[in-house]
Amino acid sequence: MPKQIAIYGKGGIGKSTTTSNLSAALSDLGYSVMQIGCDPKNDSTTTLRKGKSIPTVLDTVRQRSGDLDNLVHEGYNGIYCVEAGGPEPGVGCAGRGIIAAIELLDNNGIIDEYSPDIIIYDVLGDVVCGGFAMPIRKGIADQVYTVTSSDYMAIYAVNNLFKGILKYSNNGGALLGGVIGNSIKSSLQEDMIKDFTERTNSDVIQFVPRSPTVTRCELDGVTTIEGAPDSRQAEVYRELARKVINNKDKYLPTPFDNDDLADWASGWINQLLLNRKVEIDNIQEEASGI
Amino acid sequence: MSSKNTIENQSGIDTGINKFEKESVEAPRYSCALAGVYGTTLGIRGGIPILHSGAGCGVGQLFGTLYAGGESAGGNEGGTSTPCSCLVEEHVILGGEEKLRNLIESTIEIANDELFVVTSGCVPSLIGDDVDQVVDEFRDQAAIIHVNAPGFKANSSEGYNLFWDAIIDQLLPDEYLESEEKTVNIFGVVPYNHVYWKGDLLTIKTLLESIGIKTNIIFTEKNGLDHIKKIPQAEYNIVVNPWLGVRAVEKLEEKYGTPFIKFPNVPVGAKQTAEFLRIVGEKLSIPSETVENYIAEKEDWYYRLMEYPGDAIILVRPNSFYAVAAESSYAIAFTKFLANELGYLPDIIQITDNPPIEVREEIIREIRDNLDTVVQPDIIFEADTYKIRKNLENRPFLFLFSSSIEAPTSIEDYNALHIPISYPIYNRSVLAKHYSGYDGGLTVVEDVVSGFVGPL
Repeated sequence: MPKQIAIYGKGGIGKSTTTSNLSAALSDLGYSVMQIGCDPKNDSTTTLRKGKSIPTVLDTVRQRSGDLDNLVHEGYNGIYCVEAGGPEPGVGCAGRGIIAAIELLDNNGIIDEYSPDIIIYDVLGDVVCGGFAMPIRKGIADQVYTVTSSDYMAIYAVNNLFKGILKYSNNGGALLGGVIGNSIKSSLQEDMIKDFTERTNSDVIQFVPRSPTVTRCELDGVTTIEGAPDSRQAEVYRELARKVINNKDKYLPTPFDNDDLADWASGWINQLLLNRKVEIDNIQEEASGI
Repeated sequence: MSSKNTIENQSGIDTGINKFEKESVEAPRYSCALAGVYGTTLGIRGGIPILHSGAGCGVGQLFGTLYAGGESAGGNEGGTSTPCSCLVEEHVILGGEEKLRNLIESTIEIANDELFVVTSGCVPSLIGDDVDQVVDEFRDQAAIIHVNAPGFKANSSEGYNLFWDAIIDQLLPDEYLESEEKTVNIFGVVPYNHVYWKGDLLTIKTLLESIGIKTNIIFTEKNGLDHIKKIPQAEYNIVVNPWLGVRAVEKLEEKYGTPFIKFPNVPVGAKQTAEFLRIVGEKLSIPSETVENYIAEKEDWYYRLMEYPGDAIILVRPNSFYAVAAESSYAIAFTKFLANELGYLPDIIQITDNPPIEVREEIIREIRDNLDTVVQPDIIFEADTYKIRKNLENRPFLFLFSSSIEAPTSIEDYNALHIPISYPIYNRSVLAKHYSGYDGGLTVVEDVVSGFVGPL
């Protein structure tokens, strides 16, 4: 049985970047990896494919081609790339799209055919309906990771995902593997995410610092692992990969109620704002009389 | 009261679904909103439904609406001939607008009809197809409206209201037309769901025209679209239902200033019919002599005929208890008729069309305040067939007026004779038969007496 994990995170938080780098790093470690993008934007795997997009599972539905041989495309280092795809913005039902795409892959034995060691689902993190919770239902992923920054809304999305995990946990759904802190610029941001995980009985598996290397590589259409393999950032992703592959932890988090989350966050946001003001205004420097 | 009767989900949000509807599970006495719009459209001669839904939504109405409405097929526009976008998963995910566009285009080209009623079911409403925009593209080619009627939103009775909302908002002109004196439109008789709609509407028309009122019953008459276009010209709108069609006449009053007269029910028998004619006659300034002469003439005929079954009633089944399970309008009409004209005793009245909470008090009052008997019935709002049957157990009634669902076992279960008056009726072919008016009252008596006389 392959290890199946799902990575959730609020849109724009760096979830696909993290996932693709994780896939690339795992592949470098010698594992056979399949990455399945579950987002109607279908841009999860582009940095594994030199910036080129691939036909999606739902394209085959759209074109009624019935061509199931054209769903899996090889990317960096032989990684199997799949994009679920979805409707045009503002049309149809993207959630049902995710369900249909996963069912189509499942019912036709497409994943089994490639028998990868690890399957990674890269999923839109705002679990807005049943469709986006599909990968954490019984029989799909068994371990969930969530990517977050120290932004309140990103943490809010994580908290919602925790609620989704609780809902499906009684029926054999996926359990939490850990939280990945992303775009970290200061230790205070780390502290905030750490505090959130402590209060929700979860763990940070890795902090990924914000780095211009990542942005540059993305502009070149490649992952950091491929574009800057000797960089410090690449090493961070490799470390994440080693932790993920060795992580056997699967547990139930205890999410905040919405009101409690807002109360908890307000204290931290004030500190972060103060910190930033100190940085910008250089108050410490002035106060020290230099 | 409303908070008590609405369901709150776990997050504390009022879902708008009342408890009564949520708990109805077994053989409800109505279909869904889409079905109500569908049946209503088929009631218009020259009206054609275009269903934007899964294929089953239309085919299901063969048994769910058409055959259930007194074994009436859907004609050229209904049943398996119904234009339907037959949405499948592809359209759920990617949207179904293009398929609908093609369907409307071909329907307008092929069908020899005048009024095109695009009806959105659950799928397009869930995924958010912009059906209004698609329908807008065809407004200069045909009389076309869009009724957003997802089945989960409401029942088939409410579908009748949604149909009229769409007609009034989208098809009828904004400007005021000079009203024509002594003309009325009739609302509140729902095609198929009010199973005796064809005969009842014709009877109301005949009654009113007998006292000099031009009556637009809209349904069943040829050139249906012309009848719809004439709606704004009426001097008065008449609604014969405590809640169905009420929103339509209120809207028409707001839009054209047309006042309306509201009756809680279709008039059944001499007493209700005379009251109906007097009220309408007075509002429309018909000379009272005209009205009274007509009433006197009809009553003379009516009460002579009523004497014929007199022996059978008095000798065999005098002052019998009866039970009614029917939609609001007929439940009120039959309860009053049987008590006030036959001297029968109301035992239990079950209202099956799930009227909104606000009008339930009014329905109860209408029944309680208008019975010439000391016996007060239990009045229950219930649409679940299992519960309706449970409510009928261990009671004294000898006659059961309800849907055909109770017909086969009425004697066995309740020792009561059964008369089918309410949706669904699968055991009668209902064409011109009706219970409204003078002759309709006599028909009730025929049906009651025929149950216990004979067999040879």
